[in-house]
Amino acid sequence: MSTLVKIKIDEKEYEVPRGRYLLAICQENGIPIPTLCHHESVEPWGGCRLCVVEFRKKRWDSWWTELATACLYPAEDGLCVWTRSEKVMKARRTILDLLLARCPGSEVITKIAAEHGVYQTSFAKREGEDNCILCGLCTRVCDRVGARAIATALRGALKEVSTPFGEPPPDCLGCLSCAHVCPTHTIGHTEADGKRTVWGRTFELVRCSGCGAASVTREQVEYAVRTKNLSPEYFVKCDACKRRESAATFAGLLFDERKGGEGPVGPTGSGPSHE
Amino acid sequence: MKTPDLTKLDTILERHEAAERSLIQVLQDVQKEYRYLPREAFEKVGRHCGVSVARVYSTATFYKAFSLVPQGEKLVRVCAGTACHVRGAGLLLDELERALSLEPGKTSPDGKITLKTVNCVGACAMAPCVMIDGEAHGNVKPGEVVTLVKGGRRDAAAD
Repeated sequence: MSTLVKIKIDEKEYEVPRGRYLLAICQENGIPIPTLCHHESVEPWGGCRLCVVEFRKKRWDSWWTELATACLYPAEDGLCVWTRSEKVMKARRTILDLLLARCPGSEVITKIAAEHGVYQTSFAKREGEDNCILCGLCTRVCDRVGARAIATALRGALKEVSTPFGEPPPDCLGCLSCAHVCPTHTIGHTEADGKRTVWGRTFELVRCSGCGAASVTREQVEYAVRTKNLSPEYFVKCDACKRRESAATFAGLLFDERKGGEGPVGPTGSGPSHE
Repeated sequence: MKTPDLTKLDTILERHEAAERSLIQVLQDVQKEYRYLPREAFEKVGRHCGVSVARVYSTATFYKAFSLVPQGEKLVRVCAGTACHVRGAGLLLDELERALSLEPGKTSPDGKITLKTVNCVGACAMAPCVMIDGEAHGNVKPGEVVTLVKGGRRDAAAD
């Protein structure tokens, strides 16, 4: 059981578990903080710096404050936090100015920047097709999924998210997790005729035996069967069909009960089957 | 490019703990043995250290000490740090580029020599400095750098 501590956010008091990150606390309490590189499925990273907040520790002089990324700053007793102070907004505007220079074509960044009063960048715009901000969320999520197919390559100005040797990745499952979490939607992928292409590799999709919809790749099925101890049968039908069948089975059971038949099984019994 | 002989790779891997923290040391040894990191070795190195091929590639491209293309038998590094730059490293580099017909960062087609620049070798007192196969040569003059690189004695050039 973690100890509760008292902290102040924007002059309002909160009682929170010691060590919980400020961004999590703000999100739980409906305090808006912009962020691009954060995702609940992976550890906080502090890559985009947008969630920067101003804070003062308990024993600090009353005129002294510092800035820190909320996603990585743990709560401690007597902490005072300001999420929208002038110092914070100035820092965020600089960050957005830089992000805008990196990805002038990104709608997401243009929108957040405009919300902060940054309508154009004061730096030289980067030339390039993609809107990658190098937050590394895609690589972290890929590691989390377990495919570990992509990582950052090179460094400094040349740094990029890349597959090994820039070739179609052998370890990729085609699950599109990277594309879905990308804050600037810059990971290109296409899906047509039962085939999905991402990172330059084309995957064959498995069709649902019920409705014929193609939703998972053969590699995803094989990976899940191999590592998550699932039966290949689990992927014969798509999630929508499985839900429909469960609903039908459940409705049937209720109907039987009303007729006074055997009725549904007791509370210890199994749920609706997927057969 | 012909496939490198990977038999020595197992000996290298045996020397290192099968853990993620050995990755850089393994890559250093592989680089030393083959004078580059053969892509055929990546999977085995990754499996040994318990990291993905993508992570090995990431590490291999991050550090300047690693190379994905074979390096020459002789490695010539011209220091282009501030002190060396001020004291004429540019002239040394021009001279070598002309004499060897090589751009910085490239290896001669016969695989004998690689020309590179480095940002500082930490020998600013003897600027301009040229490292030849790990040996530092200080106060190098444009007139003697080619002889030096070709293995000659510098006093011979100075005469």
